[in-house]
Amino acid sequence: MNQGKPGEVTRGNCKEKIKESVWDKALKQLEDTARRINIEPGALEILKVPRRCLVVSVPIRRDDGQIEVFTGYRVQHNFTRGPAKGGIRYHPDVTLDLVKALAMWMTWKCAVVNIPYGGAKGAVACNPKKLSPSELERLTRRYTSAILPIIGPEKDIPAPDMGTNAQVMAWIMDTYSINQGYSVPAVVTGKPIEVGGSLGRDKATARGCLYTVMDAAKKLDFTLEERTMAVQGYGNVGRNMAELSTGQGCRIIGVSDINGGLYNPKGIDITRLSRYVDEAGTVFGFTDADSITNAELLELECDILVPAAVEHQITEKNAPRLKARMIAEGANGPTTSEADEILDDKGIFVIPDILANAGGVTVSYFEWVQGIQAYFWSEREVNLRLREVMERAFEDVYRLSQKEKVSMRQAANMLAVSRVAEACRLRGLYP
Amino acid sequence: MLKKIECYLQPIKLEEIKEALAKGGVRGMTVYECRGFGRSRGYTEEETPTAQTKFRPKVKIEIVADEAEVDGIITIIKKLARTGRIGDGKIFVLPVEDALRIRTDEVGIRAIR
Repeated sequence: MNQGKPGEVTRGNCKEKIKESVWDKALKQLEDTARRINIEPGALEILKVPRRCLVVSVPIRRDDGQIEVFTGYRVQHNFTRGPAKGGIRYHPDVTLDLVKALAMWMTWKCAVVNIPYGGAKGAVACNPKKLSPSELERLTRRYTSAILPIIGPEKDIPAPDMGTNAQVMAWIMDTYSINQGYSVPAVVTGKPIEVGGSLGRDKATARGCLYTVMDAAKKLDFTLEERTMAVQGYGNVGRNMAELSTGQGCRIIGVSDINGGLYNPKGIDITRLSRYVDEAGTVFGFTDADSITNAELLELECDILVPAAVEHQITEKNAPRLKARMIAEGANGPTTSEADEILDDKGIFVIPDILANAGGVTVSYFEWVQGIQAYFWSEREVNLRLREVMERAFEDVYRLSQKEKVSMRQAANMLAVSRVAEACRLRGLYP
Repeated sequence: MLKKIECYLQPIKLEEIKEALAKGGVRGMTVYECRGFGRSRGYTEEETPTAQTKFRPKVKIEIVADEAEVDGIITIIKKLARTGRIGDGKIFVLPVEDALRIRTDEVGIRAIR
C-alpha cells in the first residue's frame, strides 16, 4: 500500500508488508488497551486515526546537477494534551504506515511520562549515508519548507530520529526562522547547544533508559554492580547506554550494530570500543571480543538486554530462546506482539519502549521550555529533572501493573491511553 | 549555583575521606559527631532486630561547593565510604541561596573560593 505517495517509488512487497504490520501492531495495541480500560467508544475511534497526515514531494538538486525527488511525511497523531512532538527519520524504508505508527507511539510516550504534548512523526525516504552534506542540507531545507505550515513551537515540534542529528535540526530551525523573519529556537529540539540546544539532550534517551533499569532493578531486588548487559545497536542510544551503564558497574558482554556484533563474557572495554567506533564507524572488527551476529546477541545469557536498534527484532521466532532477566527497550517497537506474550510467559521483566526510551522526548520538552523562556539550565539540573520525570513515570506504570496484574507494557499503554482519553473527554468535541 | 553536600558516614572512614577530598580540591568542610538510624533501625547484618530502634554513631560532613564540583565530590565520598554493608550512610545535596565570607565581605562563589 503506497497510498498517498507521489512519484514513482515502489519497493519490494516483502518489506512493505513488514512495515505495514507495524501500523497493524500499533492499532492492535490500542484496541487491546482500550478493552482493558474504561474508554468511550467514540474516543477510541478518534485515537485510532491520526489528526493529520502530510505527504510531500521533496525535489532537490544533487551535487552532479541532476534533480531527484524524494518523498517526505509528517504525521500528527494527536494534539489533545498539547502541541505534537516527534522525531524526523531519514531512512530508505520508511512508509506512511510506519510514520503513522511511530506518531501514535509518540502520543502514548508523551502521555506516559506526563509531558504536555501530543504525538507526531516525520520522515524522508532516503539513504542519508548516500547524500553529501550539502545535499542533506538542501533536502532538509526543502522538506522543512514543505511541512512549514503545520509545524511551530505551539503546533508541532520536530526532533532527531534515525538518520538525522543536531546539524539537521539546526537547518530546520534556520529554515523556519528565515521564513518567520526572526529566530525561533523552540520550533525544533535536539539542536546544537550553540543555537539553543539543551545540555544533556544528546545522552538523554540512554540516561532515561538507565534510570528505568535502575528502578526496575530495585523492584527485582538486585543491584547493577557486576550485572551483565547486552546492547543491540551502537548509535545514540546503544552507545550512551553502554557507556553510562559501565559507570554504574554493569559488565557489557555484547554489543552490535548493523554490521554485526561483539561478544566477550568478561566484559567489553567500552571506552576503547567507543574510541574504535569513532574511527572505524562500526563496532565490527574490534579486537578483544568474538564476532557474533545480531541474532546471537539477542539470545545471549545476560541480566539486562537493551534492544536499541530498529523495530521488529524480538519476534515469536527468537523470543523463546531469549535468556535475559530484564529487557529495556531503547528502540521503538523492537518486540512484536506475538513475542511479547512469550516474554510474558517466560517471566522476563520488560520495560516497554514508550517508557524506557522516553528520556529523549523528556529532555526535548526541557529544551523547548528553555527555548521559550530563553533561559538555560545547567546539565546537572537537566539530569535531575529527567530523573524525577522518569522515576515518577516508572512508579506510575509499575503500580498500575501490580494493581491490575498486567505486564509493564500493558500498564504503560493503559496509563497513556487513559490519560489521553481523559483529556479528550474533558475538552469535549468541537463544535 | 552553590550546593551544600551533607553526608552521614561511618566514623572509621572519615580520615581517609577528608584526605581524598582535600587532595581533590575541596576548600573547606565541617564535621560533626552524631548519632542516627536508617532503614534498618540501627541494626547491623549480624544483629537480630528487636522492637527497639537504636542510634548508631555516625559522622556528618558538610561541604558547600559550586554545582559543577558536586558530582566529583560525591564520586570521591561514595567510593571511599562504601563497604557494601548496612550502615554505609547517605549523601544529600541541597541548594544554597547565597554565601558570604565575613572577613572580606565576598559573596557568592568567591566566598568559598
